[in-house]
Amino acid sequence: MTHLHVLAPSTPADAGILGGKGAGLVTLMRLGLPVPAGFAVSPAACRKFLEDGRLPDGLTTSLDDAMRDLEAATGRPLPVSVRSGAAVSMPGMMTTVLDVRGPLGEAVETVFASWDSPRAVSYRELHGIPHNLGTAVIVQAMVYGDRDEHSGSGVAFSRDPGTGVKGPYGDVLFGHRGDDVVSGRVATRPLGELADREPVVWAALLDGLDRVERHHRDVCHVEFTYESGRLWFLQVRPGGLAGRAAVRAAVDLADEGLIDRATAVRRVSAGQLRAARTPRIRVGTAVLTRGVGASPGVASGRIALTADRAVRMAAEGPVILVRPHTSPLDMHGLAAAAGIVTTVGGPTSHAAVVARSLGRPAVVGAAALTVDAVAGCVHVPGGTLAEGSVLTIDGAGGDVVAGPAETTTADTDPHLSRLLTWADPGTR
Amino acid sequence: MTDLLVLHTLRCLGFTDLQRVADTAGLTPSDAESRLIDLAVGGLVTRTSGAFGGWGLTAAGKTADARLVAEELDAAGSRAAVTTAYEAFMILNPELMDLCTAWHMRPVDGVAEVNDHTDPAYDARVLARFVDLDRRASDVCSALSATLPRFGRYRGRLTAALDLAKAGKLEHLADTTTSYHNVWFQLHEDLLVTLGIPR
Repeated sequence: MTHLHVLAPSTPADAGILGGKGAGLVTLMRLGLPVPAGFAVSPAACRKFLEDGRLPDGLTTSLDDAMRDLEAATGRPLPVSVRSGAAVSMPGMMTTVLDVRGPLGEAVETVFASWDSPRAVSYRELHGIPHNLGTAVIVQAMVYGDRDEHSGSGVAFSRDPGTGVKGPYGDVLFGHRGDDVVSGRVATRPLGELADREPVVWAALLDGLDRVERHHRDVCHVEFTYESGRLWFLQVRPGGLAGRAAVRAAVDLADEGLIDRATAVRRVSAGQLRAARTPRIRVGTAVLTRGVGASPGVASGRIALTADRAVRMAAEGPVILVRPHTSPLDMHGLAAAAGIVTTVGGPTSHAAVVARSLGRPAVVGAAALTVDAVAGCVHVPGGTLAEGSVLTIDGAGGDVVAGPAETTTADTDPHLSRLLTWADPGTR
Repeated sequence: MTDLLVLHTLRCLGFTDLQRVADTAGLTPSDAESRLIDLAVGGLVTRTSGAFGGWGLTAAGKTADARLVAEELDAAGSRAAVTTAYEAFMILNPELMDLCTAWHMRPVDGVAEVNDHTDPAYDARVLARFVDLDRRASDVCSALSATLPRFGRYRGRLTAALDLAKAGKLEHLADTTTSYHNVWFQLHEDLLVTLGIPR
């Protein structure tokens, strides 16, 4: 049997054969959206590789043939990207090889072997994913987000993942490739900045988000790159919203007629309802910035810029510790603070882990803030906040608000109330 | 002569109380306190009072510690070996952070939620992955203590935390001051300070 499958609208979108990423790319093609030409190597080939320690017989030759076909179809010799794509999403756990030319065998082996890396094994153990699935490999013509001033990369949700409100939301990196977005090496910009800078790309992105959302009848997020003003979609996945945002999206999708009320109720799991009980900053509050919610809950307090200051200030009332990042040197400040904000670092950073262990709300990676401990202030978009001024943070959605902020609990959330009414036939 | 044992122990602990300095350095509390006071007289450490108070290094203390640790490293001819061990450590570090996150946040229906620890099977899987990581971390610990014996204390402290977790006290994975995560993070800090790498 053949292990290679061309990515084309006519190819069945079967995640067991193409992997989840491959099936999503075929779906995008069917919706008439631009996807770089390529092919998938099936997870069956990965399973054989993991059993035998070498690629299945004939695969190397098939890869050479497929590369020739790809070059013939696009009319130029190609550098390609070689990415993993398991049937079940395992974001960031496996290896990606970019900018490959010539024989692909080694790059495919590298991606296959990364299925059994310790991080990937842990991820499967903890997410209940079988170890014997193997991953597909997706080979596609490279597109370059760093080609010129009209190039870039990003991720986009069809609705705000923090609140569920309809409309594009995400991050973009101008003049950079997609791997820079994912790695966090470079600070991203809010997706909306793309609208002014590249109106044609923006319009195409909105059109794509609308089409994938109507197709899946669910919130979707996409990875994209635009190269010299031309948009390419690199991935699509439905879902991915949590708690109150998932509730809001399900209710709105029902109101919009994309799903019925029974489906909306089914979409929101018991776990998401539990998460929806976490207090949140009221939707519509003016936010300074949004980082990554790392430990849920809302906290208000006066800004402290060092752990020592946090300890001293905590004697007089709640404190929000705002740091570039944290280390064991800040433990006393973390313990004294009601909430924690860092400007760099992700959801597995020291600050995030410690905040969760202490049960304190935390927002990490709030890149729009700059801490100036010497001057005793935080630079925020459009101004400066002095140490001691009040800040409110939402560790579920990642919002950072100047001053105190109104919160909503499960009891006061109109969308949650409506969903619960739909769920209970007695009150319908 | 500066008391590097206590100074450097406090440097890697960060800011903490007397008992932890003593436990970590393997000293009696009264001995540790006497040594801390000597360091304080020299302007290298300071004590803050209050509810969240404790001992910490001054800026001068950090500078002195960095210099003394670098001298010790070069005198032992250990720079290359510690650098190699640090590189191996940094391959394991993302895994440890993944596991700490998995301990606090649990994937439910594809969405991360706070782990309420009501599913012993899930918590047991997390523990099993800590044990697996620890097996691979042992090679790094052995290499470090072979070249600089003071690193040997980390192996004992990591084992102590993991043994408590294995005995059912799972909060010793990432929720206590002597947890596996905390000891790991101090080892990370120690490697950065020892090699003079800014965080």
